[in-house]
Amino acid sequence: MTGKSPSGRALGRRDALALGGAAATVAAIPTARADAHLTVWTGYPEIQPVYQAVAAEYAKTHPGVTFDFFSSQLRQAEQKLTAAVPTGTGPDVYDIGTNISVNFIENGLIDPNPPEIDAYMKSGPWDKFTVDFLTVDGKTYGLPFLEGSRASLYWNKTYFKEAGIAGPPATFPELIEAAKKLVKFDSQGRMTRSGISLRLSGQGSGIGEKFRYLLAATGGSALERTPSGKWHNGYDNQSGRDSLTFYVDAVQTWHIDDPKVLHDADAFATGATAMLFRESWVIGEIQSKNPNLDYGVVPIPAWKAGMPHWMMLQPEGVYVSGQSSNKKVAWDFVKFLTNPENGLRLTEVTGWLSPRTDIDWKPLLAKTPQFKTFVEPPADIKYYVEPVLPPWDEIETRMADRLTAAYVDPSLKGNPQKIAATIHSMAQQTDQILKDANLYGTS
Amino acid sequence: MSVSTLDRPLPRPRPRGKGRRRIARHAKLWLWCYAMLLPVMVIYAYVRIWPIIRSFVLSFYNWRLIARVRPFVGLANYEHMLGDQNFQIAIWNTTVYSISIVLISTLIALPLAVLLARRSRMSAVYQTIYFLPVITPLVPMSIAWKWIYDYNYGILNYVLSLVGIRPIAWLTDAHIALWALIIMGVWKVLGYNMVIFLVGIRNIPATYLEAASLDGAGEMRKFWHVTLPLLRPIILFVLVTATINAYNVFTQVYVMTLGSQEAPGQAVRVLVYDIYQNGFEFFRMGYASAEAVTLTFIVLGFTLIQFRAFREQETT
Repeated sequence: MTGKSPSGRALGRRDALALGGAAATVAAIPTARADAHLTVWTGYPEIQPVYQAVAAEYAKTHPGVTFDFFSSQLRQAEQKLTAAVPTGTGPDVYDIGTNISVNFIENGLIDPNPPEIDAYMKSGPWDKFTVDFLTVDGKTYGLPFLEGSRASLYWNKTYFKEAGIAGPPATFPELIEAAKKLVKFDSQGRMTRSGISLRLSGQGSGIGEKFRYLLAATGGSALERTPSGKWHNGYDNQSGRDSLTFYVDAVQTWHIDDPKVLHDADAFATGATAMLFRESWVIGEIQSKNPNLDYGVVPIPAWKAGMPHWMMLQPEGVYVSGQSSNKKVAWDFVKFLTNPENGLRLTEVTGWLSPRTDIDWKPLLAKTPQFKTFVEPPADIKYYVEPVLPPWDEIETRMADRLTAAYVDPSLKGNPQKIAATIHSMAQQTDQILKDANLYGTS
Repeated sequence: MSVSTLDRPLPRPRPRGKGRRRIARHAKLWLWCYAMLLPVMVIYAYVRIWPIIRSFVLSFYNWRLIARVRPFVGLANYEHMLGDQNFQIAIWNTTVYSISIVLISTLIALPLAVLLARRSRMSAVYQTIYFLPVITPLVPMSIAWKWIYDYNYGILNYVLSLVGIRPIAWLTDAHIALWALIIMGVWKVLGYNMVIFLVGIRNIPATYLEAASLDGAGEMRKFWHVTLPLLRPIILFVLVTATINAYNVFTQVYVMTLGSQEAPGQAVRVLVYDIYQNGFEFFRMGYASAEAVTLTFIVLGFTLIQFRAFREQETT
């Protein structure tokens, strides 16, 4: 192949090769490079738009920083992180619950917070409880990003009015009576609307978590800590038996819920249930699926009159990976992500609460008063948390496996001995898991 | 009795000259073939054989996936498995699922193949219809079936209601959920088995069937005494592959039971799901490896039984 050069000399193969080589060299010279590129993973797909909006704001003052985001459902995100982080192929920044982060921390995959981050975390934006929750062996890890629980009772005001019930239940006996009036059946006896949507089935530890609402209300707990720092089951007692009896009776005696009807947030948003125990994110679901729904939110009832209301706390952190090559920028972004303005943005957009104590919730409450129970719970509420232990997820999941069978087991109906035996068997399994992890103790 | 020279085998001549060169050429050819196959074999060994060996070794360790330390525990994982209720449930469910899928799909696919082997205008259309589920991706198919089975809005319950049958809780009733998955599984593999049988049937020499017809055999006798015996290797292939695939069931179970509506009481817990949960949710990689090794031996056992059964039938 030949052509004519400007001087009139024919361009030969050598000239073509030389030109090609020069072009390739120029192309290989990097143009203006980003200061950093951060990959961010989240286990909450509904939060990804918040991350993107925050990143866009951050990029205005840090033009050299670019981002990649990835989200998946929580359980899948946990598994992806577990596979990716140890191999160094994970993200720079990720949010995850302490059930996973404690494993990473134990194995050196998350570094303790740098001194300036540690000082910032302890300087007042979050209460001591939240800071302690993200502290392991005296060192803080990550920054608190969202409050994963504060589960409360959602109630459908329209259905309550139709049934002639004055207001939401304050105790479990009131809840049962209300649910019996609110449940609806069709002409063939099929339940078309549950009185309350309990977590009767599904994958994962969520069933165990919802069972713990009852355990706490009845005065028990999933695990108890001994003075020596060991653990054992906390529900092989009257509390555990009462909690299981409630579920069995709800399905089989009072018929206020049924595994066959629609459940959970979808059910409440679409009017398929009159009551639901859930976290604040359901408000975001309702806003998108049924904004005209007339509903309220109150604390989970007390087991009996005179007993306290209990509320679960479950702060979740956002972490910078120990293997990130952009730690400085990542921490700066994480600080920005968890500032008061973005904390409010998180709650407004998704319904998930920011655990910061210095956010002015008044504008939010003016728009959506249902947030009040979550952001300003009554002063007499008592709080409990899930233990931060490596095998915690397995303990809760294994409980869930047994519970789903028990709820619909007809031999448990009206059979306190069988219920006690079931609880005892579950508790033995819990203790065995703790023994396998060298965490079991009774003193 | 003396042995004549004609009774003894002729001695093999020693290669000389051109013969030696021919052998050397063949040897070079073989060497060349193996050299060309070597990269593929190395890759295959690395991605298939080596992980199997590693899984087997890992089953003797207590490894929590992200832990740096992996203490050797000998047979402790296997001992734990024997007492693990979840594992027992998973083995039972998986065995019921596999046997049902293999039997039902084979018993339906074989007569279908016999019918479709008769060349007709619509034969190709029917083959396509039956084969479509085989090529449909598993995840969207599972999601579709999840809606088909829905208690309140599913089309299956709607169709049943037209003939007066009350709605069935296909995926939320502990006694029915596994059978719902079996029905879907049969629907998925039926076309594949049918096509394999069809190929086998079409490869039976027509002369055998003609000879049987000349001898006065009807369709049923021709099928029973000619077609079926000659299909034995094909049937063995179908049974073995169907068993292996059925024992590895996971995707459809996982997708169809995801979320807050699921069959209670672990009615659909299968072995691969148990392995996945132990390995990637509870981080018990050593224990999950022990379960995987056990699954391998179970499937191998079934395969050997099937081979033996068919070999015995061939010799009798």
